[in-house]
Amino acid sequence: MVSDDMDALFQALAHADRRRILDLVKSMPGCSVNDVTKYFPTSRIAVLKHVQVLERARLLVSRKEGRVRELYFNAAPIQLVYDRWTTEFSSFWAGTVTELKYVTEAIQAKNKQKAEP
Amino acid sequence: MSDAPRQMYQVMIEAPIQAVWDALTKTDEVLPFFFGSVMRTPGLKPGAPIRMRSPDNKYTGVVGDVIEFDPPHRFSHTFRFTDFDDAPCKVIYELKETPRGTEFTLITEGVPVKSKTEKQMAQGGPFITKTLKDLVERGRPSFGTRMILLIIRLSAPFTPKRCLSKNWP
Repeated sequence: MVSDDMDALFQALAHADRRRILDLVKSMPGCSVNDVTKYFPTSRIAVLKHVQVLERARLLVSRKEGRVRELYFNAAPIQLVYDRWTTEFSSFWAGTVTELKYVTEAIQAKNKQKAEP
Repeated sequence: MSDAPRQMYQVMIEAPIQAVWDALTKTDEVLPFFFGSVMRTPGLKPGAPIRMRSPDNKYTGVVGDVIEFDPPHRFSHTFRFTDFDDAPCKVIYELKETPRGTEFTLITEGVPVKSKTEKQMAQGGPFITKTLKDLVERGRPSFGTRMILLIIRLSAPFTPKRCLSKNWP
C-alpha cells in the first residue's frame, strides 16, 4: 500500500460519522446512500460526501444495480494495515489482551445493568 | 438491497492486468493466495469443474464449476466447501486496468446467512485479495502468510475424512 493510500485510509477513518457509516454498510451489504442517510440527522449531500471519502480510501466499494448505487464494505484495506504492524506472534498476544478487554467490559456492562433498576 | 447477500473485497495491485490474471488462473501449481491448494480442472471454460486440492491430491477443500471465463477481466465459479453441508455459493473475480495498476475485486454472492461458509468466507476474502497482491507485486507472499501456509501444511493429517479427494471426483 503506497503512502497516499494509507493517508486516504486514515483520513477516512478519522471521523466518527464515517466510522458509523462503515458499521451501517457492513451490517447492510448492498444498501444505498438513502438507506444510510436515514440514520443521520444531516442531509443526504453530507452523507454522500462522507461516502465519497470512504470510497476513495477503498473502504467502501459501490456497484450500480439498475438505478440504485449499492454500497459494500471492503475489509481489504484494514487487512493491509493490520499486516503492516502485526506478526503471527504479536497477533496471538494482542488477541488475548483484546479478548480480555471485551469479556471484562461485557461483564461490567451487565453488572451495571443489574444495578440500575 | 439485493436478496442474495453479497460481499466485496478489493485491492489495487501494482502490476499489469495480464500478470494478475495469470497468477489467478494458474492451474496445477500451488496457489499461496488460495491457502496453498492447487486448482485442478480439465480446462477453464464455462461448465468445467474446478477442484481445489492439496498439492498431493489427497484432500479436496473446495469444489465448483466455472460459470464465466473472460480473460483477463472476469472469472466466476460456483463454490462449496467440502467439509460443510452448506449450499454452493458464487465467487466472482473482476480485474480492471487503471493507470495505477490492476483493480482486483473478489465478490461472493449467495453465501448462506450465518453459515460456516459465511464465517470462512469473511476470513478468507481479505486473505485471498492481499496475498494475491503480495504475490504479483513482490513475487512471494508476506512472512505472516508464509507462516499460515506452513501451519496449514502441517495440519494436513487432521483434515476431516469427508474431504478425501476420492469423495470429490
